[in-house]
Amino acid sequence: MKRLLVLAVALLALGLLLAGCGGEEKKAEQVLKIGTMSPLTGPYAADGNDIRQGAEIAVEVVNEAGGIPGFSKIEIVSEDTACDPKQAVAAANKLINEKVPAVVGAYCSSSTIPASETLAEENIFMLTPASTNPKVTERGLKYMFRTCGRDDHQAPAAVKFMKDVEGVKTIFIVDDKTTYSQGLAEGVAAAAEAVGIQVLEHDHVNQGDKDYSAVLTKVKAANPDLFYISLQNSATGALMVIQAKRMGIDAILMGQDAVYHPKLIEIAKGDSEGMFCTFGAIDKDAPKYKEFQSKYKAKTGNEPGAYSAYAFDSATAYLTAVKAAGTTEPAKVREELLKLDFTGASKQINYQENGDSGSNYTVYKIQDGKFVPYWNSLTGEKL
Amino acid sequence: MDFFLQQLINGITLGGVYALIALGYTMVYGIIQLINFAHGEFFAAGGYMGVILISYLSSQGVNPYACLAISLVLSMGYCALLAMAVEQLAYKPLRQASRLAALLSALGMSIFLQNGLMLTQGVYDRPYPTEITSGGFEIGAVSISYMQIFIVALTAFLLVGLNILVFKTRIGRAMRATAQDKVMSALVGINSNRIIALTFAVGAGLAAAAGIMVGLYYGSVNYTMGFVPGIKAFAAAVLGGIGNITGALVGGLIIGMVEIFAAGYISGEYKDVFAFIILIGVLYFKPTGIMGENVDDTRV
Repeated sequence: MKRLLVLAVALLALGLLLAGCGGEEKKAEQVLKIGTMSPLTGPYAADGNDIRQGAEIAVEVVNEAGGIPGFSKIEIVSEDTACDPKQAVAAANKLINEKVPAVVGAYCSSSTIPASETLAEENIFMLTPASTNPKVTERGLKYMFRTCGRDDHQAPAAVKFMKDVEGVKTIFIVDDKTTYSQGLAEGVAAAAEAVGIQVLEHDHVNQGDKDYSAVLTKVKAANPDLFYISLQNSATGALMVIQAKRMGIDAILMGQDAVYHPKLIEIAKGDSEGMFCTFGAIDKDAPKYKEFQSKYKAKTGNEPGAYSAYAFDSATAYLTAVKAAGTTEPAKVREELLKLDFTGASKQINYQENGDSGSNYTVYKIQDGKFVPYWNSLTGEKL
Repeated sequence: MDFFLQQLINGITLGGVYALIALGYTMVYGIIQLINFAHGEFFAAGGYMGVILISYLSSQGVNPYACLAISLVLSMGYCALLAMAVEQLAYKPLRQASRLAALLSALGMSIFLQNGLMLTQGVYDRPYPTEITSGGFEIGAVSISYMQIFIVALTAFLLVGLNILVFKTRIGRAMRATAQDKVMSALVGINSNRIIALTFAVGAGLAAAAGIMVGLYYGSVNYTMGFVPGIKAFAAAVLGGIGNITGALVGGLIIGMVEIFAAGYISGEYKDVFAFIILIGVLYFKPTGIMGENVDDTRV
């Protein structure tokens, strides 16, 4: 009896296998998988989920428009980096096993850099929507692209604003020691000294801190004209803003692109009023953005986050290039990617030879609970 | 001088929070020699329960202070129940097993609770209503917020309450007896299982109070918020002499102060280093902690 059972199971298994083979023979069931990697858990999960959702919408749009010839359907495979270099490399390896030809991500520059080295070995594309550290595109990786701006453009833009618009003479800088935040803060310090703004102090806090009272007491004692906050995420930025206001610090507050997020205002509420942030200019009245925004809201119930539009554009750019090349073969897709010049949801997408797509930093001011474009760093005009 | 005073006030506030969390570690260790690594998660759960209740009650038009008081009591109760459930599930079956097994179970519980919070409450920070907490006054150049006073006062109040519970009541006597010798105390008719569950409940209630205070003080809660303060409070408990209630208070205050002064006078990036250097130093030179570990009278 037992033997019979084993035989039956074996036959059944074999049958399934054969059925599988039969399916294969019919051919053309080819799925195009696009990877995303971003921090889906941990303190940076807010931005990480924005990125994943942005890419998902790009795929949705392309699928609805009939997909790409030669592929039955396009799918997103998401991996979590938790903004940790080791986990990012593990995520890259998982995506390699999934046979993705391209990855949208990661968020933290400290994750993007090691993960991109792993992906580069397999000639897999990496298009980052959020990593702004200059090193990302300066290592000569053939398939590394960047849709957002660069810190070495952001820092001078911020400093120019401080000097030309606000007439700032002294600043106090705080960062949280990540590759991104510290690199940017050092850039700001150097640029400030170069134009004669005095850097009273450049201090650091740890990631995951909640209590900033000690460092804020220092800021208050130093009494700078402007307090520059370079933290890796908007929630800690909000905590710092709340505590600074309670401490009675009346310096101008300024943050950067990682602090720029609707969550900052949601958490810090009135305390964030009047704060400045640098972020790439995204024209929120442009039809492309509106279209993206309504799709995003319908799918997630939220407003697009800071990097959603960049993630959307990164994925769209790659899919467009694949469609034009008619294949996922890396060299051919790269050629098409470099030829692209289209209006994305975030900006005009036009990749350069090194993979960058140009920076267009704008200073935003928080007014009535909203980020309002305030000053254009390219033209030096008030908006 | 103003700078020093201001940092002193910051340090006492932070130290008070650590002390409240450390009490839970110390009490549980005192009674069953278990380092409950899931304790930081009760702190986070308390913070979340607080924001949920405060938001709900204030949307019903309840007076902000009544809101705060009700939420505080309810969250403490909620975390007490949660802790008893965790004890029943993860620790009680392992009471006769090796200490390592219980420790691993605690670590697992911590990860489980943290992810549970993430899945039910989302990955985003949850803002606290700030109307109650803004405001303060200045003495010279030193600013003190009402929230800081509230934290210190509540810490003191809860500590006095705990002392009365442990040293003046029958339950407290049973707790101390169980801590000294579980078998003998059971022989004289103390239900040690109930006492252990109660100890967990009290410790978690204190952590929940700390969670709400932190949420109010800093403006938001996050599902990862329990981890770092949990470790710091554990350090505080060891520093003061684990198993010792007064020790937890002293240890908490020291860790809070060291952190703030290291950040204030050296740099923010060094504050954790100094807190743990002190801990290592104490363990090296006086392994029983500052207040001693085995003073039976003060041990729970």
